[in-house]
Amino acid sequence: MSIPATIGDFSVLPVSIPPLPSFPRKVVHHLYVRRSTPKIPTETDARSLFVTNVPVDSTEAHLRSLVTSLVGSGRFESATFEDERKDANNPSPVAAAQPASAAILLRVHGRKRKREEEEEERDKETLARIPSAWTRPLRRSGGTAVVLLADEKSVEQVLKAIAKAHKTRKYPTWGLAGGSAGGKAPPVPPLGSAWLRAHNRLSYPDRAALQASVDAFSALFADREREAAEIAKRLRNEPDEDGFVTVTRGARAAPASQSEAEEARRKMLEKERKRKEELANFYRFQLRERRKEEQAELLKRFADDRKKLDAMRSKKGKFVPET
Amino acid sequence: MDSNPAKRRKLDHAQDDAEVALAAAASAGISRSTTFVLEAEELLEYVCPDYDAAFSGADGLLHRIKGLVEGIEAHDQLQIAEAAAKLEKKHKIKVPFPEPRPDGSSNYKVAFAAPSKFNVVGSYVFKTMVKTQKNPAVDMVVVIPESVLQEKDYLDMRYFYKRAYYLAVIAAALKKELGAQGQLSYEYLHGNPLCPVLVFQPKGPAAGTTEPEPPRSQDFRIRILPSAPEGFFPAAKLHLGASLIRKARDGEAPSEPTPFYNSTVAAESTFFPYLKVLRQAEKKSKGFRKACVLGRIWLQQRGFGSDVAQGGFGQFEWALVLALLLQGGDKKGQAALSASLSSTQLFKAMIQFLSVTNFSEKAYVFGSAKADLDAHVESGPVLYDAARQLNIAFKMGSWSAALLHQHARWTRSLLAENAGDQFTPTFILKADVPAHSFDFIAHLDPKKAADQAGLDPRGPAWRLGSRVYRILKRALADNDMGERARVIHVKASACAPWALADGPARETAPLEIGVVFDPLRMARTVDRGPVAGPSAEQQQECARFRKFWGEKAELRRFEGDDARETLVWSSTTPFALCEEIVRYILGRHLKVDKELAVYGGRLPALLSLKPADTAVFNVAKKAFDVFERDVRGLDDLPLRVRQIAPVCAELRHASVSLPELDPSKSWRRPLECVISFEASGKWPESLIAIQRTKIAFLIMIGSLLEKSKPGDVRTHVGLEDSAYDDENLAFLDVLYENGPAFRLRVHSDLEESLLQRQSKNKMSEPWKRQRAATLLASFRRLYVHLPLHNQYMTTCATRFPALSPTLRLVKHWFNAHKLACHFTPEFMELAVLRVFLAPHPWEAPTSPATGFTRVLAFLAHWDWRSDALILDTSGEMTAADRSAIATRLDAWRKIDPHMNHTVLFVATAQEPSGTAWTTLDGQPKPPKVAAARMTSLAKTASRLIKDKGVGLDVRTLFVPSLKEYDVLLHLNKKVLKAALATYPGEPAEAYAASDADAPQHAKFKNLSAHAGEPPLPLAQHPADALLKRLDAVYSHGGPLLFFRGGSPDDATIGAVWNPRMPARTFRVSLPTAYKPASAAAVEAGRKRRAEKKEEESGDEGENRGGEEEEKEEDMVEVDREAILAEIARIGGDVIERIEVKDSS
Repeated sequence: MSIPATIGDFSVLPVSIPPLPSFPRKVVHHLYVRRSTPKIPTETDARSLFVTNVPVDSTEAHLRSLVTSLVGSGRFESATFEDERKDANNPSPVAAAQPASAAILLRVHGRKRKREEEEEERDKETLARIPSAWTRPLRRSGGTAVVLLADEKSVEQVLKAIAKAHKTRKYPTWGLAGGSAGGKAPPVPPLGSAWLRAHNRLSYPDRAALQASVDAFSALFADREREAAEIAKRLRNEPDEDGFVTVTRGARAAPASQSEAEEARRKMLEKERKRKEELANFYRFQLRERRKEEQAELLKRFADDRKKLDAMRSKKGKFVPET
Repeated sequence: MDSNPAKRRKLDHAQDDAEVALAAAASAGISRSTTFVLEAEELLEYVCPDYDAAFSGADGLLHRIKGLVEGIEAHDQLQIAEAAAKLEKKHKIKVPFPEPRPDGSSNYKVAFAAPSKFNVVGSYVFKTMVKTQKNPAVDMVVVIPESVLQEKDYLDMRYFYKRAYYLAVIAAALKKELGAQGQLSYEYLHGNPLCPVLVFQPKGPAAGTTEPEPPRSQDFRIRILPSAPEGFFPAAKLHLGASLIRKARDGEAPSEPTPFYNSTVAAESTFFPYLKVLRQAEKKSKGFRKACVLGRIWLQQRGFGSDVAQGGFGQFEWALVLALLLQGGDKKGQAALSASLSSTQLFKAMIQFLSVTNFSEKAYVFGSAKADLDAHVESGPVLYDAARQLNIAFKMGSWSAALLHQHARWTRSLLAENAGDQFTPTFILKADVPAHSFDFIAHLDPKKAADQAGLDPRGPAWRLGSRVYRILKRALADNDMGERARVIHVKASACAPWALADGPARETAPLEIGVVFDPLRMARTVDRGPVAGPSAEQQQECARFRKFWGEKAELRRFEGDDARETLVWSSTTPFALCEEIVRYILGRHLKVDKELAVYGGRLPALLSLKPADTAVFNVAKKAFDVFERDVRGLDDLPLRVRQIAPVCAELRHASVSLPELDPSKSWRRPLECVISFEASGKWPESLIAIQRTKIAFLIMIGSLLEKSKPGDVRTHVGLEDSAYDDENLAFLDVLYENGPAFRLRVHSDLEESLLQRQSKNKMSEPWKRQRAATLLASFRRLYVHLPLHNQYMTTCATRFPALSPTLRLVKHWFNAHKLACHFTPEFMELAVLRVFLAPHPWEAPTSPATGFTRVLAFLAHWDWRSDALILDTSGEMTAADRSAIATRLDAWRKIDPHMNHTVLFVATAQEPSGTAWTTLDGQPKPPKVAAARMTSLAKTASRLIKDKGVGLDVRTLFVPSLKEYDVLLHLNKKVLKAALATYPGEPAEAYAASDADAPQHAKFKNLSAHAGEPPLPLAQHPADALLKRLDAVYSHGGPLLFFRGGSPDDATIGAVWNPRMPARTFRVSLPTAYKPASAAAVEAGRKRRAEKKEEESGDEGENRGGEEEEKEEDMVEVDREAILAEIARIGGDVIERIEVKDSS
């Protein structure tokens, strides 16, 4: 069966997968490619390609080699995978660790930092990240990626090359062939047993490094917390330009912790319960109501049993003695 | 004076309809356990056959037979041998004389005259038959006229010779007339060789059609039972102690009493009196008939029947005992039971009666008997009806009476419980499969029986059986030494019907011996017998002991005790001990050796389970205690340790393999624990920050431990394989140089309340709440439920000695069938615990073999779609608690009818939510497919156990069937092994494709960079890590579902394609790799969609795209080959071969 050249507004890019000893078959994997048109346009859209159904073991190097084999070297700039883009939404664990209210305060009222300060901060945040335990991530099956090319012309060329590949039936090969990565880029870590071993090795990071990372995190976290508290304190008595005073948490000398509040609430409920208990069975109507309830309960149980029985009856074999 | 009558009246009136309804309910017998009553009613409705349809033509046939019998020509006295020879010559019919047959020289005379009375008796007239009965029979009693008999005929089997002849004459007549319309054969009435009867099996309902149909089990038969006239034989002469077979072959005159013979003679003339008794009872009590049907089902499910081989206690005996209890059975002449009781109440009363009267040990008498009957209990159970002077239980053996007593006690304890399902174990489950019931099963070759002399007419096999029982009872259930066995059962085979021209078939089936252990006492290796003292009494006692045990008995002095006769056994496991004792004692007394075949002990050998394993588990527990002390002893921790709790199977006696205590092993599975600190306000109020703080704690504990025990302990902080920063991030591996390894995780209580708050926060987005709920569930699982579970299972393991080996066997079964990766170990443990905590219709299993087979039976039987697995772990769960759990399951099924989130539902008293052990990270564990596979595998296994009986090779139960998998991934064991060791010194990037490719490592071990350096522990086994990655990429509603056992040696991963991913329209975001569809796939996809529309069921897995217009050229299908190629690339050298089943 011939492979269609397009599907919807996507061009189909068949990639031949070299056989492996464990699965010695020639397989064709289909990537679907089109110009990138995200909902929120960015400045690089014009020279980007949107690729979907990327193989799970894709890396930037893989896509680079693919583009190279289609239109030659020097056109490929970078590739961003689906999961990496999601990561971009929550930039640092420290920020995510802040309570929402503090985060808002910091964003709105925090003082503007200078660039070098910001860079320093970013370095610290990078340090505060827990190192990954895998040398190489696996992509989502059927996932997407955005490939950034050198210029708009390259996009055109790639799409043309795909169309040509269909005609000549010469599909590019998946892998890191040709060393066209330029030698400078770090080699792609292998999968298989080496990958699993490296995982185990990375699962046990150097203790000092881990300690440093945790320390960096704690320091940053404490800083942010303090800063947020200061802003909150400042705002407490300070009307803004419209004359409103922002309501902030922590008006008391020591901020009320939520657990304390819960404790107080529990105590109150306990008190209430005790009071009620003392008056139970005190009035005649209470006795009467209780008895009524019990009867209703009994009747309800009876009805429930009936219902259960009906349910059992509807299923076969519940009333057949086993033989 | 009533001051306010109006008000009072109103109040009274307010005790309204509810009360009336309740009173009505109570009077109808629905007072307490209504469910049981309703279910029993429903059962009765179901099992009662439609008599008109099932027995169409029976009445006509009976009339016809009556006419034919009446028409037989009478003849005068003839010499018995002569008459028999005549019959054989003329009609080709053998007279079914009982053994010993009358010899030719005997001068007994036989005659024939028309019966004095006909009547139809038995369950046909009382309508107490059930559908599940095999070969229902209509019994017609034919009374032999007095003219043919003499009063002294009760002696020396004369009556039975005459009776046999009478029957043969009738057979001859019927053969002539009815031979073409059915099949005539002889059969023993209730397996009693004294009483042959004639059986007529009509040839199918449409008689006359040419097609000969084999008789269906539902086809009725007519039995013709000759009987003696009522009151013909003098009852006084037939008492249990009389010796009525006086003519012994060898000339000497034995005066041994012949109770079975006597009772058979007495029973021969009681058909009509008992018919009357039953009629009266039926008239008097409305529930009587139904109670009899319930009794029949109860007995049938336990393998009891009127037949001697079935225990000799069947529906007739049940009805009789119940009627006598209703009639005024007890000593004061008052009725023991009220006639106004309902059927279920009568049933329960009967169970109660059977459970408190052990008539195999003490005679029970209805009415008042003059004679003392207790002396006769030695020869068999006595249940004496004084009015008719008959021992109702005369067909029973002591063992069947004991087993009946035991079953009644088990059922009573079930009925006394106020919660749980009482109905199914009582009436539905089959409780007579030997592999389910007995811990030890042996078969004794019946050829051995030939040399068993004796007078008992029940035959040599019976005589052998009763000797075996007496010997084993003395050997295994000796009260003074402590009963090793709770139940000893002997079962002989039943005698099949035989043709008119033949004699009865010789018994060839082996004698079956079953033993239920007392697990603690059966493990005893030294038996202490009587004290060897100087007194005459003591000496006599010792002599008896020596006589019974032979040379095995030896004199020993015990510390702080007298010298005693002692038995020392060499085996170690309870099963082997039992076998040793049985072989020895039967060999000594009956000279059996090779004739005895023993079954049931193979299961534990599969895993080489030993009693010493408990000790290893205990050593692990001790090592844990040391570890706990070491951690608690650290002075510089900022918070005080509140608790360190074990959370792994190794520390609750439940792991398949023993805990690894040997530090030299290349890979030690660490024993997992959690540590919690005293409450502190210092934890930061942020999940992410808490997780970092935990890491700091772990690092601190690690370095403090290393400092406090230098050289003795190595610690490594490891990272969890977690995707987000607010999950638990790290653990601490503590490796003792001379002991096991531990894995520690930190519990922070603030984490729980934060998660709780997040999951309830209405302000945040639903996915955030969902995520918080999932995290909360994981949190509770690890830090709350698991420690409790561990504690509870440890207690149970001590309470039930058979629990730990059963757990391990069942887990091994799950492993063998590659199910283990889909089930949590805790679920498997609770499923096993189910048969221990709710063992009905038996008591808790007493050996791993019975435990394992019953777990399989339970799994096969469990309808998890609608039933929750509820375990009363506290012992005080109420019916309300149970129904609350059931309601919760219903609710789940309503929100999630396709079971994408919750499949199995397992609730305990500590964990009533029901999903803690059956969901993991928001995914069902197991998914529906795996759960269904478990059920079908368990069903197959249970059927095998039932069908093949004891001869089953248990190993076959553990052979995985690989042909059901679409894809098999064969892992390379060598590569996996090479991947086990990693060293702290090496950079992660240095690992090459495979160490096997780098031979210099192997050649010069000492030259490698990390010589002498101890390797890192394993965060997870590489095969597990790989499977987890593959799962994350392809499972969870994806295209493939993987199956693998839990043991690291399992080198084959099975996988099945998701059948619910047909070809579909192309979209930007596809759930997995798709390729442009071929025409066939498009067609299949369209068909499937059409079906789905018809079903109108919204399925999440596929409806994500919604209904898009179908454009043929835009169709895509799952690219299976590409996916497999991806897997091959991910696995690299770890996967040796991918085997694909042909999709054709």
